[in-house]
Order: sequence, then structure tokens, then C-alpha cells
Amino acid sequence: MSFQTSRWRLTVIVLFAVLFAASVTPRSIAQQTAVSTDAVQVMGMRGVKNNSKGRLEITEGTLSFKSAKSSATVSVGCIDDVVTGRDSERVLRGPVGTLSMLAPYGGGRALSLMRTKLDTITIKYRDSNGGLHGAIFTLHPGEAEAAKQALLAQGAHTSIPATIGSDSSASPQSEEKEQSR
Amino acid sequence: MFGLFLAISVSGFMSLLCAQSTPVAEVDTPAIEVKMIQDAEVALPAEFQVALYEDLIQEFQKEGAFREVYRDGDRNAAQSSNVISLFTSVRKFKQGSELERDVTTVAGSTSITVHCQFKAPNGALLLERDIEGKVRLRGDNLKATEDFAKKAAKITPQSLSAEAASSIATVPKASYSPGPGW
Repeated sequence: MSFQTSRWRLTVIVLFAVLFAASVTPRSIAQQTAVSTDAVQVMGMRGVKNNSKGRLEITEGTLSFKSAKSSATVSVGCIDDVVTGRDSERVLRGPVGTLSMLAPYGGGRALSLMRTKLDTITIKYRDSNGGLHGAIFTLHPGEAEAAKQALLAQGAHTSIPATIGSDSSASPQSEEKEQSR
Repeated sequence: MFGLFLAISVSGFMSLLCAQSTPVAEVDTPAIEVKMIQDAEVALPAEFQVALYEDLIQEFQKEGAFREVYRDGDRNAAQSSNVISLFTSVRKFKQGSELERDVTTVAGSTSITVHCQFKAPNGALLLERDIEGKVRLRGDNLKATEDFAKKAAKITPQSLSAEAASSIATVPKASYSPGPGW
């Protein structure tokens, strides 16, 4: 009798465990695969001006970039290749950066030593006519790998597979293309 | 009455001629299909590869010398007539440093040499040239691809036809004959 009771209890526990896992797992996968981050679109997104700042979102099978003036969307299934890299840029950029070069006593050169690190993500995708496009984004350090994982989880392809279980700070050796610009 | 009828028919005939002549002139100007840069012995970072390709398309569109600029794999290019293909591969690549350029002014330049091949629809080689892109002073490394694309986009259908004509003069068996619009 006691054996039957313990068996029944075990069955109930297993059933609850399975139900709990089923309810939690899809949400956690969805949380892992959805990415929304600030980015700079260097080039390549149709209808968006080069070097425009905006928000990069990877969710529900689409990659979208929204800047203040325009936006563009690409279906993740159309992405043929995703590659991440590392880079750096001057803190002072644009007209201010150019004017800073005129600072006396080599001050401009000293200011150019002030740089911020950033991640790059490069994608290649096909439009509805089969035409190949390429797009480059820069993101905050450590965010490119998460974006790549999200793209791969939603059906994008890559020529350089990511290392499973690696954290965002440790990107694969083959993709470490630190450009000391 | 007969004169009026004659004038109307002549003007109608002329307008028909003009309507026919415009598309013929458009078809004679070739279109170009820019192929993605090919993998060669020189390894090129993905962002440079994409920047080269996108800058080329952008510059050819800006110049407007070709009837249409198609991307690699565009199905419309296969259906269109008189489409020249541009194949590119990297011959030399030296990745410099923006920091070095800013600090030293003389060091840290980035340069890229790309081998360009313009091919006719029948596969005949029209023009083959090495074009270099550089960034020496200001700007990030990707400016080198922009510099290259600006130089490459200077090649027009006219310069291709001149090159093809000179190759016909030197090699009698050249199989491509450019159209009358060239």
C-alpha cells in the first residue's frame, strides 16, 4: 500500500516537473533570442542613411533598425551570413573631432588617443529579387555576440559558427578582428 | 483637307518613330551586375568585404553611366539584356590604424588593391585592371573602400568599349562586339 502511495506521489511530482519545464522553457528561449540595443548603422540597410544612430531589434524572425528619421526591416531567414568583430573609434568625432586636430601644442593628437571600444556585426542578406546586400552595424562592447546568437536562433546562417556556451566577452578566435583604427 | 490629313499622318509617324527610338537607346546602354568580392589568397575582414561591395554599388548608381546597377544574384539581371558583370578579388590588403594616423600623420595608412574584371554577357573579358583604395590621413579604415569604389566607378561603358576596340585590334579573335550605343 505504502509502495503504491509513494509511486503515485512520484508520478505527480514528475508530472508537475514536466508541466513546469514546459511553461518556463519557451519564455526563456524567447528572452534569449530577442535583442534590442542601441546601434549605429554604418551602411547597407535599404532606406537608412549611412552612419545613422538608432535601435537594432531582433525579434520574431525579423531584424529591424529604427533611426529617428527612417527604419528598415530584414527577415532573419534571408540572412546568409553573420560575422562579429571588434573595433574602436575616437571619442571626439565629426566636426568637433576635426576641429580638435587644430588644438595647439599637439593637443589634437593627444585627444585622438581617447578612444572607445565597440563591437561590429556584419550581415549579408538577400532581397525579394535574390539580390545580395551587406550591412554593417556597430554596437556597445559585448553586444554583438548576443545579437549573433539571437539571429542564429531565429534562422540566420553564418560562415563562422559561434562557440556554444561562451559568454559574450569571449568571442571565437576566428572572429577576433580587433581593428586598432 | 488632304494636306491636313497628310500633316496629321506625318506627325503621327514621327511621334511613333520617336517613341520607338527612346527605348532602343536605353537598351543599347549596358547595365552592370556587381558581383560580391571573391575569396582570394588575401584574407579580408567581413566588414571590408561588405563595404567594398556596397560602396561599389553606391558609386556606380551615383555616376549613372550604366543603364541599371544590379546586385549579385538579382534575378532581373538574368532577364535583362546587355548586362556586364563586374568580378572583383583582393590582390593586396594592408590594414592600418586610425590611431597611428592621428598621432603620427605619416604612419598607419590603410590600403587595398582590388583586381577588377569587366565581363560581357557572353563571358568575354572587356577590361581587367588593378585599382587601389587608400586612407592616409583622416578617417576610419573603411574609407579605403570608398576611395577604391570612387575610382572604379569612373569606368564607363565608353571606356569599356574603347578597351574592347583596342583588344579587337590586337587580338583578332575577340568575340564580343559592343552595341551601337557604346
